[in-house]
Amino acid sequence: MTDASVGRWGIRPVGRVLKISPDGPPLSTVTMFLTPALLVYLVFTAYPVLRTFYNSVHILHPRAADEYVGMQHYVQMTTADPTFWVAVKNTMIWAGFAPLLDVGIGLILAICLYAKAPFARFFRIAWFTPVLISYVVVGILWMWIYNFDWGILNGALRAVGLENWTRAWLGEPDTALVAVMITHTWKWAGFNMVVCLAALSALPKEVLEAAELDNCNWFGKAWFIMIPMIRPTLVNLLILSLIGKMKIFDLVWIMTQGGPLWATETVSTYVYKRAFQWQTFDLGYPSAIAVFWFFVVLIAVMALKYAFRQRDKLEY
Amino acid sequence: MNSAIRAAALAAVTALTAVSAAKADTELSLWSHWADQDSKIEFIQAGIEKFQAAHPGVTVKPTWYQKNPLFAALKGALQAGQGPDVFYCEPAQTEYIDNGFLLPLDDHLDMSNIEEWAANSWRHDGKVYALPLEAYTVEIYFNTEMLEKLGFALPDDGQLSAADFKKLVEAAAGEGITPIVQGAGDRPFPGAYLTHEVLLKKIGIDAYGELLAGRKKWSDPDVMEALDYMESLIKAGAYPRSFATMKLGESHYYFYSNPGGLMLPMGSWYTSRAFNSPDQGGQPEDFPLGIMQAPALDGSACPECKTANIGGSFCVNAESPNAELAAEFLDAFADPEMGNLWLKKVLVQTGIKSDASTVSGPHADYFKMLEAADKNNKFFQGTPHAILKGQCLETFKQVINVAFPAGQVGAGQAAQMMDQACSAG
Repeated sequence: MTDASVGRWGIRPVGRVLKISPDGPPLSTVTMFLTPALLVYLVFTAYPVLRTFYNSVHILHPRAADEYVGMQHYVQMTTADPTFWVAVKNTMIWAGFAPLLDVGIGLILAICLYAKAPFARFFRIAWFTPVLISYVVVGILWMWIYNFDWGILNGALRAVGLENWTRAWLGEPDTALVAVMITHTWKWAGFNMVVCLAALSALPKEVLEAAELDNCNWFGKAWFIMIPMIRPTLVNLLILSLIGKMKIFDLVWIMTQGGPLWATETVSTYVYKRAFQWQTFDLGYPSAIAVFWFFVVLIAVMALKYAFRQRDKLEY
Repeated sequence: MNSAIRAAALAAVTALTAVSAAKADTELSLWSHWADQDSKIEFIQAGIEKFQAAHPGVTVKPTWYQKNPLFAALKGALQAGQGPDVFYCEPAQTEYIDNGFLLPLDDHLDMSNIEEWAANSWRHDGKVYALPLEAYTVEIYFNTEMLEKLGFALPDDGQLSAADFKKLVEAAAGEGITPIVQGAGDRPFPGAYLTHEVLLKKIGIDAYGELLAGRKKWSDPDVMEALDYMESLIKAGAYPRSFATMKLGESHYYFYSNPGGLMLPMGSWYTSRAFNSPDQGGQPEDFPLGIMQAPALDGSACPECKTANIGGSFCVNAESPNAELAAEFLDAFADPEMGNLWLKKVLVQTGIKSDASTVSGPHADYFKMLEAADKNNKFFQGTPHAILKGQCLETFKQVINVAFPAGQVGAGQAAQMMDQACSAG
């Protein structure tokens, strides 16, 4: 049996005013409050996304009609563009290793702070500070550290007699990607530390005290109790980190612009190059890469969520 | 009848007043590169003042950018119909012309005041699309005292043989001096300067043009001979270990200040940094600067060839409601007086007709030296990064500009990568 007075989307007349629910505000009020945010969302999120999908199957002529080319860009990208696959490989390496580093180091630092290591208050601030620094500053700072002639890294190696180990860390294909990844991890480990520390601080004391009564040492508590109990936090951090790495652009652009020899080229830097440095106004091809990569990221996130899903809910 | 005439006159006066009032409110927008180059900013400001004095009520509002952010901003703004009235442009940006964003300037500029070769850099389908302001040649600057200390002397024509040039590189490297100071860390072209000068001389202007147009293979024996020679210099330690990451500004400082190096191949806009005061990163006042020719391999088709190029230019946005006025603004620069002012202030060649003998002051001798260095040269117009397109350009940036001179790939592999990218278009 249906209530004939209920319209579409559950909106019903209450007295002389349209409401979503009898106790809720009038529909006009809801509309008034939602419209600005909705408009911002439509203009700045939904439209650009839809427009990118549209662009990806067209060749764009700025002062003429767009030319529909179907899947041409996608075919070219996957079959005839070796730089694209180099960018995919580099991004995958980054997304595969860096989240583990970021979250792993963040977790270790958080456990150190949770265990009230000496100078914990100082280290909490010191370790979190890089998060507050902009990518530009971080990039320049680490470019100085890696500088071949007067960088502190090579300086230290020379000082201990390891002259042969010195190298242009960002200038050689073998080391450039790792060097940029380390810089990124340095910047973000502090963020992961703070989130892990919050999760650890929220753990019930009784469980940990019970472990202590059972003569469980710190490593045992961390490995068998703390980490399993903050697993949802860790999974979320890993997923967030993975998404960030799959889209990595700013730091790479500042430090290497994808070089040398495409050794640090990522999908995002390649999209930017194709869009803005390819001496064309046609955004079709870079849009196709962006759309393709959107689905790759989506699938990766869903796969990760599935792989790390928690079958048994922890109760404490 | 009289009243009709009076009414018409009144209407005409009203209309004229309205037009002049509208003009009085006109503001031309100018987006330009050179945010960190004071001498060029001063020159543009002088042109703005000259134009504003001749057009009361019209103002020009410049916005200064670095090059890459400017190009990115222009791409979006022009497509959105929000581009500035006048903007910085370079001859490589043919996409502006292909898409109808540029106003042809033939009928607006006094072309008799612009060098023919410079105008040709911007000529497409018979029309000139920009004011070719900045011109430059690719030179090899060197420290004359250091050369002398190493026991070398330049012949009268300023050109060492390929064998002697290699000996010079080896001698400098043996003394712990960086032979060729160069960095490709933030620019897509300086690392390729010497390679391309040697290449141009070896195969000559026509074949070099064919190579850059993708109609000649990089694996061609003559091209390979030039690349193999360059590889021998690279293996002799010609470039610094920090080559791949050293920035353009750093390479200048490295060359003339700390730690110092023997040679710096650079566009003749070297002066825009080097002739700043030392506390602003310029060369020391007593720096012993010389200019030499790039070496020519035995059997070179054109040992006297050299690269010249039009760099910074200014274009008018064809969609601007003030396009005609904007073109008038650029015409204010197309004047030998402004050409001379450019030489005096910026100390780089220009596409505007000018007289280098008018340059006086502390850098007058430099200009005489530059003139002497270029006197007997034949010029190829255009640099590789201004001519190559798409994947070929990207490969040039990564391989010829960085990886090859950094010793990360050899001559054969570099040629193979270029052929693969450039033949694919």
